[in-house]
Amino acid sequence: MQNLLTIEFERLPTESITLDSLDINQAVELSNSIPDEDRTWETYINALGLFTFKSWIEERDSHLQVNWKKSTIAKPSLANVIPTVTNLEVGNFKVALITIGSLFDEQIPLSRLAVESPECIPHFYILVEVLEEHERGIVRGFITYPQLIENLAKQTILKPDWTYRIPLTWFDPELNRVLLYLRALEPQAITLPAITDESKQLLAAMESQITQLLPSLAVPSRKIWEVLSWEQGSVILNSPELLELIYKLQTSSVNVQGAPSVVSLRDTIKIITQPAINLGRWLWNEIDEVGQALSWTLLPQLAPLRTALRSPEEEFGTIVTQLQAKGIEISPLARCGYNNFLLAGLPLRVYAAAWNLPNDNHSWSLLLILGSAAPNTLPHNLKLRVSDQTQILVEQAIDSEQPEAFLYTRVVGDWDEKFIASVSIADDVEVTLPPFAFDIRQA
Amino acid sequence: MIIEYWTLVSLNTEDCLRQEIPLAKDFFLASFTDTTNINELSDIAIQRRLFEIYHNCSSQDKLLAQRCLLCFISCQIEKSCLKLARDFGSFHGFTHRDLLPYVLNDDGTFPPLIEHHCFAREILESFDVDKSSLTTWTTRKVRQHNQLNQFLLQCGLYLISDWAILNDTNTKQLQDILGGFHLLSKFEIQQAQTLLEAYHKVYRAERFRRRLQKQSAGKCETPSQSQLREITEVLVTKGIYSISIKAALNKLQNLATKLREYRIHARSGKFRTDSLDEKLENNFTFIEQFTVSNPKNVLDSTDEAEDFLENYRSQILICLDNALNTVIKARFEYLNKKNADKASKYLIALTLFHCQRLSMGIIAQQLGLRAQDAVTRLLKLGNLRADVRQQMMITLKESVINLAQQYSSISDLETLEMRITSAIDEQINKIISDSEIEAVNIQNNLAPSLFSESLCRQFQNKE
Repeated sequence: MQNLLTIEFERLPTESITLDSLDINQAVELSNSIPDEDRTWETYINALGLFTFKSWIEERDSHLQVNWKKSTIAKPSLANVIPTVTNLEVGNFKVALITIGSLFDEQIPLSRLAVESPECIPHFYILVEVLEEHERGIVRGFITYPQLIENLAKQTILKPDWTYRIPLTWFDPELNRVLLYLRALEPQAITLPAITDESKQLLAAMESQITQLLPSLAVPSRKIWEVLSWEQGSVILNSPELLELIYKLQTSSVNVQGAPSVVSLRDTIKIITQPAINLGRWLWNEIDEVGQALSWTLLPQLAPLRTALRSPEEEFGTIVTQLQAKGIEISPLARCGYNNFLLAGLPLRVYAAAWNLPNDNHSWSLLLILGSAAPNTLPHNLKLRVSDQTQILVEQAIDSEQPEAFLYTRVVGDWDEKFIASVSIADDVEVTLPPFAFDIRQA
Repeated sequence: MIIEYWTLVSLNTEDCLRQEIPLAKDFFLASFTDTTNINELSDIAIQRRLFEIYHNCSSQDKLLAQRCLLCFISCQIEKSCLKLARDFGSFHGFTHRDLLPYVLNDDGTFPPLIEHHCFAREILESFDVDKSSLTTWTTRKVRQHNQLNQFLLQCGLYLISDWAILNDTNTKQLQDILGGFHLLSKFEIQQAQTLLEAYHKVYRAERFRRRLQKQSAGKCETPSQSQLREITEVLVTKGIYSISIKAALNKLQNLATKLREYRIHARSGKFRTDSLDEKLENNFTFIEQFTVSNPKNVLDSTDEAEDFLENYRSQILICLDNALNTVIKARFEYLNKKNADKASKYLIALTLFHCQRLSMGIIAQQLGLRAQDAVTRLLKLGNLRADVRQQMMITLKESVINLAQQYSSISDLETLEMRITSAIDEQINKIISDSEIEAVNIQNNLAPSLFSESLCRQFQNKE
């Protein structure tokens, strides 16, 4: 037993880093907004690992900067689902940190994302040991991306929780070598997989599955890999909006507002996953690909009413006059398009008018008008719903007392905000229009 | 050694005092009259008898039995401290005399004063005669002593507490370790997981809250009675009933011991190896160490190395000067930001080591630093060497266009570094191994190396 006493005391390596109270406070802040206690602690240890690494670099080289603001630990929605700190920038390189705590496991978990997802793959994986109790950390070793892939080809230890188990022995303890790379190597010496753009399409294709599965994540302790397949997960993990949504779902039980309704959740997922039609292009007299694919028609710029038959242009002109009479402002610079569609066999037409709000900082206005494509009044149970990415903004229904020829609504958002509109006549009979976006930059 | 049952080790201002307590001796010998050869009796048997008296007898005998046990504990405490000092003391700069005041405070009064807080009595009172031996228990308590740990941490030695290990273990790891390493049954693993979850919910959550409120969290202490009570309450909600507070503590400690065994096992591989600096201090030769850690450090032919050196000799010499200047200045500034005194000691220590060729131990004395280990931490010679080499490469990249393409592939870059290394390493190794020899036997008649020559020249220029 006397023997054990001296085994258990360990020599603090010369390279150990003392974490100061600023580091610790910041680590606590970064992890405090994580919804589940286990993941909070894990994130806290990861953050201490980050500050250990940062201090280590600072001590060795005042020219190298560690930028973690774009890393996965900087945003709670990312840290909540990705247990490895990745997308850290050191000079021209990307770095991921694998942190181990006091237990010192032989097989260290590494998020599959940091190995397989081009957006998150680093040049170097750095192993950091954190002694939370003693407020110390030690940078222990590293492995380059090509070396990791080579090793994984021989021996893959992939766990169902979307992590690889990496043997300690894979890490090179000669840290001066990684410093040499960071200091002197040209980044192109390590080729990383190219980032492709297919994730948007993949995301659009899995919208209905996601809509079904995500609500079960509304329990803080539920882990994303318990609910989604890796194929779904790998796509979702690259969508900041969906991660934000998951984060919101997981924290909603402790929020005042409570969990979002199923309908609102569905709208949110659609607005994130479905390709948006960019009304900003209309200002350039163009219809983007999404609009073309859905047969949207662009009307000429608003002009004084001419006499003619009930063409869409005239109909819109009439409606605009009516709306203006009601005090609804429509900019003379607005551009409008329309689209005919069927809802349960009913021919409907939607007009969308968009304009820039120059006096309001970077915002835009969307006016939606829903009418019948045939000369009929609208059915009395017709509803129009508009949501933004976080909630339902308006729900309009036909007033059965005063049936009208059209429903309309106007919403305002920042340039980067999108809106989604759905038209329904019963609970399950619904058509959702593509999300509307507004980007006036010339293509 | 039965004499330990009536010998009290205590401290006076100068030294350890061994004091025979006649009352305890008489009582002890009287208690074992039925034994023919008391010296053959095991400590466990003796302690069981003493505890029986301690727990069951009237006041006078009870206190005497307690006195015997306290004497025994005082001897074990001293042994623990001697062992620590023997294993780590010389390098980390402490003796057992530095340790004893933290743990040896039994004044030997009889009957003991209730209000006098005494560590030995704390050990005795927390001891369970059915679960452990008093020697083991004392060792364990000494090891966990908070102030003692703080002192050792300042000396560069640390101990991970049971509670820190439990904090950092998740239930998934627990399953792997208990199942794969300790071969426990599924049921046992489940029980342990539930226990760990309850512990996290109470103890770890509270630690995090303290951090959140910016209170100092310090070393992880044994869970308090109220924390343990809360843990047992959480266990009830998870279907584990009838666990007493004491049993919960025991189970948690047993679990931590299992995890610690695993930790020791995991670290016994590659990562027990310490840094170059520590190897250096442990009298490994630096050259040997360098060859081991850098197996590719063998060039195709020595001719190649010589060609390289010949071609770039002038640049290399300029670069070496520049690099030394840059790196030393950077480290000075880094230290200066934290502590100006430390920064100036750094420069002095560097001169003493490289130019006056003094050993780390002597430098520690001259600078009033605690021990050799403190000089090592200040100088970080391994880092200095690598930083200088790499700084040279950065400068060479700018000044020698022919070399530029070698910075675009890992293997070319490493080869380049090796060439530069071998061009100057012989020199650097020479001074380092010289210093090692000097540490034992000062030999100033060796030719100074390129590295130290350059370094000392810089210091002279500054003066």
